[in-house]
Amino acid sequence: MPTAGDDGTGVISPTSFAYVADLLRRETAMLCEPGKEYLVEARLLPLARAAGQPDVDSYVALLGRDPSERAKAIDALTINETSWFRDLAPYQAFTEAMLPPLLEARAHVKHLEIWSAACSSGQEAYSLTMLLKENLPPGWTARIHATDVSTSMLERVRAGRYSQVEMNRGMPAQRLVTWFTRAGNEWEVSPELRSMVTTQHLNLAAPFPPMPVFDIVFLRNVLIYFDMDTKRDILRRVSSRISPDGYLLLGSSETTLDLDDAWTREAAGRVWMHRPRAVSPAAKAASPASPAGPAGPAGTTVRATAGVAQSTAPALSQTGA
Amino acid sequence: MHALIIDDSKTMRSILRRIVTELGFDTTEAGNGQEALDALEAGLVPDICLIDWNMPLMDGYTFVTRVRADDRWRNVTLMMVTTESEHGQIVRALAAGAHEYVIKPFTPDAIIEKMELLGLVAQEVPA
Amino acid sequence: MTVTLEPSLGDVHAVVEEVWSSFLGAEEPILPLATPMPPGGWSAAITVSGGWDAQITVNLTDGAAQAVTSTMLMCPVEDCSDEDLRDALGELVNMVGGNVKSLMAGSAVLSLPLVGHGDISPGSHLVEVCRLELTWRGEPVVVTVHLPPTDDPS
Repeated sequence: MPTAGDDGTGVISPTSFAYVADLLRRETAMLCEPGKEYLVEARLLPLARAAGQPDVDSYVALLGRDPSERAKAIDALTINETSWFRDLAPYQAFTEAMLPPLLEARAHVKHLEIWSAACSSGQEAYSLTMLLKENLPPGWTARIHATDVSTSMLERVRAGRYSQVEMNRGMPAQRLVTWFTRAGNEWEVSPELRSMVTTQHLNLAAPFPPMPVFDIVFLRNVLIYFDMDTKRDILRRVSSRISPDGYLLLGSSETTLDLDDAWTREAAGRVWMHRPRAVSPAAKAASPASPAGPAGPAGTTVRATAGVAQSTAPALSQTGA
Repeated sequence: MHALIIDDSKTMRSILRRIVTELGFDTTEAGNGQEALDALEAGLVPDICLIDWNMPLMDGYTFVTRVRADDRWRNVTLMMVTTESEHGQIVRALAAGAHEYVIKPFTPDAIIEKMELLGLVAQEVPA
Repeated sequence: MTVTLEPSLGDVHAVVEEVWSSFLGAEEPILPLATPMPPGGWSAAITVSGGWDAQITVNLTDGAAQAVTSTMLMCPVEDCSDEDLRDALGELVNMVGGNVKSLMAGSAVLSLPLVGHGDISPGSHLVEVCRLELTWRGEPVVVTVHLPPTDDPS
């Protein structure tokens, strides 16, 4: 653990840390708990130097009166070090466990709606577009709706440009050359993929703007930044934006189990796919087959037929602390 | 598991050696494609070769074509690690039979993730 | 048709930043500040030829050169020989030069690096088209791109 020194490379002071944590919470509802001082120090030091400040404490002191530095600081603190096809297993689950039943269930519309929530710079959204291009049958379309609390991140998603260092992270070389071209020192995603992605500013902790109902929601590695009550609230609101036969994917170590019993989960390789809990076993058994084709494989939950509204979830039970 | 590190820079070889050693690999080093080929001919059986492009005597691209032309080494994974970062160069290397491609500069995470993609390293579930 | 003959300063800066942050910037980033370069120090140069002809050079003080070597080799400065410095600086300019090469259109070939203590001045016929003055750990780092003079079409 580094100790404070007078060469400016010590750890951020408790006062500065408290200010930064409060700023983050107010602007993004994200939490920055004690113990994360080293992370804040590391993320803000380059900004401090670039702003001509000798250390992070002096830099934090000017955040109060400099909105543009404040915005930069928030971006630096909330950015998730992100790679393509991050953790691999969720993308395998997407291709092998989610797409096949959805291709049957949506055969009458031949369209999929997917939400990449807390999309950051867009690697998740564009990773999904590549998998869709490789797996959707002819005649099908899909849209990835990428949302984030950071407008500068959304601009990055729209631009679809990534540095060499970012392209090294998890991107199979074959996909790199298939879907990207060089643009200056960066790589730019093809217009074909870019046209599949829409962006919208969205703060998960606030009421959602009007959005469609999604077939798949990726909500990965972002709930960890929120307190328990906010997590529950977000999950409740997400459940109203997901199709009854849809899928919710959280981060590898995340689960809804202790938060909200409106979800069941199915294993797909190493990941849990969270599904909206069916209203009652009777409703599940009586479900008519989709007009488009035969009954799906065993293990799928109720498929919504057109016009059937989703029932309200049962009351939340308070489990654990 | 064994990695053959092929780069004319001792500095780069030591950086790569540290990363793959951390992953549990034993390593052999070669300063150019010819040295590397000699090591294979002498019986070395690496699981993976990490290959620079621009080297004296025999460059990395030529090394890849020579290895892929020989059935003895069909199970050796070939990963370029190079500053050659034009779209066309990467296409050429993949067409010649390289399995993966890392552009210099890289972070250790980049190498680790590529090794995971190749199935040479088990993924760690992130904290 | 307008052909871009030289890389933009912004792109060259991005290249140097990426090399530095990947291998050298863990504790201190390289900063866009100009610090006066004292005489002496090390020069590492690499040439590009073919579709594009250029020389890319990195100039560093002894202190910065030793710090680069020590950091990349992960060994104390006092254990780094001159041979180690030549190798580390050679790889540094290889990465900077190789990525600058890839900014330009056309297929070109990268030479092996040339490293020396003291100034390796590019041939007097070459023209400096890009100069990046940076500071790392309080020491100046200068990256330049030189091109052959353009011929006037007659």
